[in-house]
Amino acid sequence: MANAKYSAAGLFIRGARKKTWPRVWREAEPKKAYDVVIVGGGVHGLATAYYLASNHGITNVAVVDKAYLGSGGSGRNTAIVRSNYLTPEGVAFYDRSLDLYNTMSTDLNLNVMFSERGHMTLAHTDSALRTMNWRAEVNKLQGIDSSVIGPQEVKREAPSLDVSANTRYPILGALYHPPGGTIRHDAVVWAYARAADSYGVDLIQKCEVLDITCEGGEGSESDSADGKGAGGKVTGVKTNLGDISAPIVVNCTAGWASTISDMAGVKLPITTHPLQAAVTEPVKTFLPTVVVSGSLHVYVSQTDRGELVFGASVDPVATYDMRGTLAFTEELAGHVLELMPGISKMRLLRQWAGLCDMTPDYSPVMGHTQVGGYLVDVGWGTYGFKAGPVSGEQMAEAIATESMPELIAPFTLSRFTEGTLVGEKGAAAVGH
Amino acid sequence: MSFVSIRLPSAGSEVIDRARPVTFSWNGKKLKAFTGDTIASAILANGDHIFGRSMKYHRPRGVLTADFWDPNLFVQVDDEPNVRAAHRLVENGMKVTSQNVWPSLKYDVKAANGLVGRFLTAGFYYKTFMKPAKLWPAYERILARFAPGGEVDLDTPHGYYDKRYAHPDVVVAGAGPAGLAAAIAAARAGASVMLVEHEHQVGGHLLWGSDDDRAAAAGMLTDARNLGVEILTNSTVTGRYEDNWLGILQRNHHIAEERLIKARAKMLIVAGGLIERPYVFAGNDIPGVMTSGAVRRLITMYGIKPGTRAVVLTANESGDAAVADLERAGVEIAEVVDGRTGAFVRSAEGSGRGTNHRLSAVTLSDGTKIDADLLVTAVGWTAPTSLLNMSGDRPVYDPAAARFFPGKTPDNVLATGGMVGDGTHDQLVAHGAATGTLAAGRAAVVQHRLQAATARAAAVDGPEPDYPEDLRTPLGRDPHPALFRSTTHGMVDYSEDVSSKDLFGAAAEGFDSVELIKRFTTATMGPSQGKLETVNTVAVLAEARGETIAEVGTTVWRPPYAPITLGALGGRVFEPVRVSSIQSYHESKGATPILAGQWIRPEHYDDPQAEVTNTRTNVGITDVTPLGKLDLKGPDVPKLLSLLYTNKWMQLPIGGVRYGIMCAEDGVVLDDGVTARLGDEHYLMTTTSSGAGGVWNWIENWLQTEHPDWQVHVTPVTTGFTSINVAGPNSRKLMGRVVAGVDLSNEAFPYMNVRTGTVAGVDDCVMWRIGFTGELSYEIQVPAGYGLHVWEALLADGKDLGIAPFGLEAQRVMRLEKGHFIVGQDTDGLSKAPTTGMTGLLKLDKDDWTGMPEVKWALEGDYPHIVAIQPTDPNCVPEEACQILRGPESNEIVGRITSSRYSPTLNRSICLGQLSPEFAEAGTELTVLLVNGERVTAKVMKHHAHFDPEGERLRG
Amino acid sequence: MLLVPCPNCGPRSSQDLTYGGESHSRPDPKTATPEEWRTYLYLRDNPSGWLVETWYCSSGCRRWFKLERHTLTGELRDPILPGSKTGVASDEATNIQGGTK
Repeated sequence: MANAKYSAAGLFIRGARKKTWPRVWREAEPKKAYDVVIVGGGVHGLATAYYLASNHGITNVAVVDKAYLGSGGSGRNTAIVRSNYLTPEGVAFYDRSLDLYNTMSTDLNLNVMFSERGHMTLAHTDSALRTMNWRAEVNKLQGIDSSVIGPQEVKREAPSLDVSANTRYPILGALYHPPGGTIRHDAVVWAYARAADSYGVDLIQKCEVLDITCEGGEGSESDSADGKGAGGKVTGVKTNLGDISAPIVVNCTAGWASTISDMAGVKLPITTHPLQAAVTEPVKTFLPTVVVSGSLHVYVSQTDRGELVFGASVDPVATYDMRGTLAFTEELAGHVLELMPGISKMRLLRQWAGLCDMTPDYSPVMGHTQVGGYLVDVGWGTYGFKAGPVSGEQMAEAIATESMPELIAPFTLSRFTEGTLVGEKGAAAVGH
Repeated sequence: MSFVSIRLPSAGSEVIDRARPVTFSWNGKKLKAFTGDTIASAILANGDHIFGRSMKYHRPRGVLTADFWDPNLFVQVDDEPNVRAAHRLVENGMKVTSQNVWPSLKYDVKAANGLVGRFLTAGFYYKTFMKPAKLWPAYERILARFAPGGEVDLDTPHGYYDKRYAHPDVVVAGAGPAGLAAAIAAARAGASVMLVEHEHQVGGHLLWGSDDDRAAAAGMLTDARNLGVEILTNSTVTGRYEDNWLGILQRNHHIAEERLIKARAKMLIVAGGLIERPYVFAGNDIPGVMTSGAVRRLITMYGIKPGTRAVVLTANESGDAAVADLERAGVEIAEVVDGRTGAFVRSAEGSGRGTNHRLSAVTLSDGTKIDADLLVTAVGWTAPTSLLNMSGDRPVYDPAAARFFPGKTPDNVLATGGMVGDGTHDQLVAHGAATGTLAAGRAAVVQHRLQAATARAAAVDGPEPDYPEDLRTPLGRDPHPALFRSTTHGMVDYSEDVSSKDLFGAAAEGFDSVELIKRFTTATMGPSQGKLETVNTVAVLAEARGETIAEVGTTVWRPPYAPITLGALGGRVFEPVRVSSIQSYHESKGATPILAGQWIRPEHYDDPQAEVTNTRTNVGITDVTPLGKLDLKGPDVPKLLSLLYTNKWMQLPIGGVRYGIMCAEDGVVLDDGVTARLGDEHYLMTTTSSGAGGVWNWIENWLQTEHPDWQVHVTPVTTGFTSINVAGPNSRKLMGRVVAGVDLSNEAFPYMNVRTGTVAGVDDCVMWRIGFTGELSYEIQVPAGYGLHVWEALLADGKDLGIAPFGLEAQRVMRLEKGHFIVGQDTDGLSKAPTTGMTGLLKLDKDDWTGMPEVKWALEGDYPHIVAIQPTDPNCVPEEACQILRGPESNEIVGRITSSRYSPTLNRSICLGQLSPEFAEAGTELTVLLVNGERVTAKVMKHHAHFDPEGERLRG
Repeated sequence: MLLVPCPNCGPRSSQDLTYGGESHSRPDPKTATPEEWRTYLYLRDNPSGWLVETWYCSSGCRRWFKLERHTLTGELRDPILPGSKTGVASDEATNIQGGTK
């Protein structure tokens, strides 16, 4: 790689010589043309660019973002990773992602602080316990470390949890997944950005895509003469920094997937909902694992800095507004205190929201579309961060080979017109 | 140099009550203070000036701002972590300890980090600890030990927290002179007003001003009280959400530990004043370096002498006033550096070890070095615009005034006071009063509109008043020098130990937008959430980039304005459960309860297997009240039922009962149940327990949006009836003893029929001959108030018939023996109607039913089948969710067990499962993977029912 | 929390209502092709802007109604009960707290 290598020795030498580090990535101006333009500078877009360059030698690539790198879901999620999904196709896919996360720090020479601290999904009813068993059985068949444990083992893993029987939502057991954990989400963005940049990929911030230009299509709803829609072919993008021509445009956005896709005349099975999260003031660490409760719509982990990071399920009302609600913090706190009654004096420090593109079957939409050269990697709901590395790897392969790799074949857009939905919805009331 | 704060002689300006002493402990030492002291002033009065150590370098830290936002004064109070020592009032018996010290405040081993700080630049951890990868968890544990903050006692009881709803016309956030004036003016104009002050007293900066200032504050307080303004002190407007939905945290409620007030304010006035910015220079975090506001508050309000020999860097009136206050307190003024003339402070140094560490000398811009134990800075202000940001405002930087000002707020949010400009006391009060009047006028219009928009409210009086325009005279803006960073590097974020040098380094690495630098260095991410740090961060970044502050822009403050305890947000945890009218019986018999959705139900009274056997042999009764029940009336009910269910409903006779499967529009099974025709235009529909609410909404949607012409009235009656199932060979005999007015013979009242009559003297009971258990059985819907009476009458009259109650578990065993599937257990989110096997009920010749097209297409292709399965080993009960594999050696999933039990009737294990069609043929041998990893064989059965497949018992 | 103008009950906090989602018309189930039917089931406009949607006044009058909401700004307008030509109080119900209507 072209950039200065990160290491303890490097820190020492630069510290001693009072030298600063070089830029993580170049400040790039958009060129007139690229082989591939990727819309969205989050984990998915940057990983796609990186794997295009590193695995397929395609380096004449631009990643454009209307704000700064990692400004969307990549910087707003709660950084939980796991692979204990319900369906075999889900498990295979996320397990590959976890593999890539496991070696990312050394592969990309930037410490993303992967903390393999274990992941527990609590069951409060016998039907939830049945679903946990279902997941555990599917997981085990695919070699995933995942099993159902009883209340006493839950207590051993997370002593702050109230496992007594007299609660409104008694903890009957949990699906325990030791390889799950947390990652420093921003670091993942920077690691892919730095690595992609070292191959010559242009990372262009504050570059907003205003339109996707196409030819030969049957036309969009608004204009049949614009060449968009089924049968068409992408010719480039118009941005606030000028027009860029490119035979391939990849939509790697979240929150804006429908808007961008409309520009190519491709309608998506997506509604956009805010997902809220919050963080407390730091306290000395006491919660060693990630804890999720589907019934109580909450997940929680403690960072190395001592903050509790909370998330919930998406807000029911579709909106692009990310201002957050008071009701979210009230419900969150009430539910967290059901699980951990001893933390009522901890203080909530900050709340925020990100946008999640929800699909009818809680699974993404990936790959080629009815418009030639226009690919999507969208519909990531609440689980996009977990899938960043493998999505990038597979999307890069889809672009380079002009085909659909087996791992993402179940996630095509056409499944919605063919009626072959993925069965992940059953287990994903709270997808973390 | 060792320094000891001393308590000054009593003065009229102070807020402490010297007649009421308080005793508390600080790091194990017993100390005395006065009522009204904050923890910080109490500790300072006792001669300590170091409160804790910084996060990364463990540098000793003392008072910086002496208010809620002071980043250096976090202490542990009893079981409560992260208490703000300059805000929390000291109380008798409080046990206060310092945080983030190891092993003690005096000797902190981690302070060695300070020596290697040059190598621990911001974000250093991203660049190391990568190899060897397996060592990272060990590194991580060490890093986690540096987590700042106090300790949570996991045994902390969940105290009493309360909530309140309020609908004031006007909420004023901040009770300084402008806020007070706004509240008074709004109240005078007839508005109901809530005035919310973060601190313990109203008055804002008047409290540490002149005697005249305090008199003015007292006068306005009296006015506000007399006008009926609700005044909340030690309370904070924590957030402004959509349509002025406000969170207000009240910390001094007389009973509750804290109370969260949720207010729908017609108007919000933000009068949060200004927060004083620290100055960035080498040594700016040495104890003894404070803001002008800090020394003024300590001297005037708490009678604390903050040092002995001071250098004051002043660029505004607050700094000038601090000089006067210090002189009055007997502090020697070594030097006044006037920032308005271009002079500044270059650096500071400290001396002394452990808890004696303190500022010893200050170097000025001209190189002069002056001995001092106190350095006071007054370099400018930050408008805490959080509530405005939450209203959509983006602050704008004014270089002449060297601070950000609000941009544009929505019509229902107004700002006043120091946040929007400068002025004399009278000008601030006038602006506040104009704001209050404007707010009251707008609130009156909103009130008018609210009433007018409510169709059923009383008619509004007269036309809508004109919406008042904002005609306030704006406040001026005083020029202020731009003093952010000196020529040296110092702390920008005290909580996070991020220096200006770190920010320069991060910007050089490319983290050169406000958002990126924040994320990379964690500047502004600590407990004060950037109140002190954001603008300095922006200023340093602008300097590093060679741009102006306006070009760099600022970040948006996210809610809450100030941290809120989880206890206050959660309130009294209120999670109601539902029980039937028979619950007292279940409890008196010691039935094991089970939570089923919102309901608590008896799972079993005794051995559930024995309960099954007794029911199959004699007679049993069970409480099925949670079953959803909808009363349907009107001429078009059959049309509705035909639309909702897959089968036909136009010909159901009065007294008839029919079973139906309900699909969503994607063909997936949504619900199932039986519906009875009670009269000509009167039906009673039952749903699954968990589906009751959803099905009701679903029906209303179809009726109101797709078929508004249909005449159907829907009433949910789930809890209006208590439902009792009487099952077993003796059930008819038992019913004969309690029922009046209904012929119970099989000919007069056959299977799948319904009758209305009197049970145990209770009229209007609905009796259904149906049977989830597979036995001859009657389901009785009793008007809920008589549920327990009928239940007990059945038990009494059935004694000689061998009657016994049975619970949910026995019911589940019996339904599985009969092979009835349960929606959501044997079906899942992708199971379309054909999967149930009830293809005879899927009437594709009807005009319309929900999900019909998808069901039609599903029938044309492959779909999973629900089948009955019996393991070869009758004693092996495969766990529910066990996977079924293609063969003994294969790992390919072809199905799963969805229900399983041991059947006491058949003396063997029985299951339902979902299978791929190629494995669903009767007689197919299956490989079932048990949870313990063992693979066992099982067989697909011909009928869903393991027991009495012909249904002779229930028809008999 | 948004104030949602129920045509019957007047402006109510959104928590008192149930969100019904994007409004779309149902094809004839007898004649719909799979593509038409699944477009109805799954594909959504999901605009960043004005959206016609349905709400259910579940804690109030229990009427389903339509309104237009701006998905970026949260502005609401034109609540209307199914079957009626205009909302009961559509003009008044819009932008209760703002200066202009």
